[in-house]
Amino acid sequence: METSTYQDVNQHIVERCKGGDNRAQYELYKLYSKAMFNVSMRIINDYAEAEDVLQEAFISAFKNLHAYKSEASFGSWLKKIVVNASINAIRKRRAELVPMDERVAAEVADDITEDNDTEWQVENVRRAIQRLPDGYRVVLSLYLLEGYDHAEIGEILNVSESTSKSQYSRARKKLLEIMSAPHFAA
Amino acid sequence: MKDRLKDFVGEHRDDFDVYEPRPELWQEICQEISAKPKETTKVIKFSFGESFSFSGNMAFMRVAAAILLLIGCGLTLWVTKERTAEGNYTIAAVNQPAINKIAPELVEVEAYYTSQLKDKREELSEYDMKVLGLDEKRDIDREIARLDSSYIQLKQQLLTSPNSDKVMNAMIQNLQLRIEVLNRQLEVLQKIEKLQKQTTTEEPLSNETNV
Repeated sequence: METSTYQDVNQHIVERCKGGDNRAQYELYKLYSKAMFNVSMRIINDYAEAEDVLQEAFISAFKNLHAYKSEASFGSWLKKIVVNASINAIRKRRAELVPMDERVAAEVADDITEDNDTEWQVENVRRAIQRLPDGYRVVLSLYLLEGYDHAEIGEILNVSESTSKSQYSRARKKLLEIMSAPHFAA
Repeated sequence: MKDRLKDFVGEHRDDFDVYEPRPELWQEICQEISAKPKETTKVIKFSFGESFSFSGNMAFMRVAAAILLLIGCGLTLWVTKERTAEGNYTIAAVNQPAINKIAPELVEVEAYYTSQLKDKREELSEYDMKVLGLDEKRDIDREIARLDSSYIQLKQQLLTSPNSDKVMNAMIQNLQLRIEVLNRQLEVLQKIEKLQKQTTTEEPLSNETNV
């Protein structure tokens, strides 16, 4: 959207950070901490762990700022760090990501029809995403909210592009199923 | 395939970011990054709490470096000591310095004779060795090789035997013998050369008379 103007604005701050300017570091933190925290939160689904990851990610970003070449925007560079750190955290927590989802996939009913008349509420969608099992939630969040395509997701999760695609469509079905459950809206 | 869900999320993207990290988190991050020296000129300007932790780090690094250095020195000393201890039993390892101690004059003597030998060899190499006949050449080579090996034996004896003068004399004799062998060879070659010259000057004459 406005990444190009953003990039130009941040370039100046990033340069100051490279020089070790504490105030510039705080400015970057203020700009990105909320968005990055939500990225981490969606993947990990645990407040304390997401905060740990956010802290680690910012520290490693400031320490490795010299490695940041402004070919991508600072935001997407930082996001990649946060996403990778979050996925590492979740992998540590749960032994395996994908195989678990294959098991869950069988439970997903195929006949969930998309009801075009229902109006979605952001809050409902968000809560339903939180209820998804880890593997589904990660793929769905990365695709829908973090704006990665399936090839990129495959790279991040170390799976094939088609795996990412099928995981997403299952996750999507599961999400609609959760939302259509009678007690969900309550 | 049109993805209604994706469109919906895209439209309301910003509303999905509902969480905020604790405000204290920045303080924690800040402490972690300033624990690492960022700019050498700014080190002095640190506030007390930070500068204390920084100097603490420096002190730790210094102690670590000192310990490492000590371990390194200790190890190298130990290793060299071990090696010299072994050296008393295996002569080859410390051949040169030991000989310098036992017979310092030997180095000069050796240098003198080896240069002599080299000269003789060069002189010899100017002659065509085939004239001598292959067998004879081989005999000489064998003789020199025998002298060589006995010389090495003597050199080793020099390190262990108490009577170094006797061994030294034997060594010098060995070197002189080698020069003698080469001298003989030279003499033979020179004689052959003379004979050949005579025959070559005579041959054309005889040829002419025949024709």
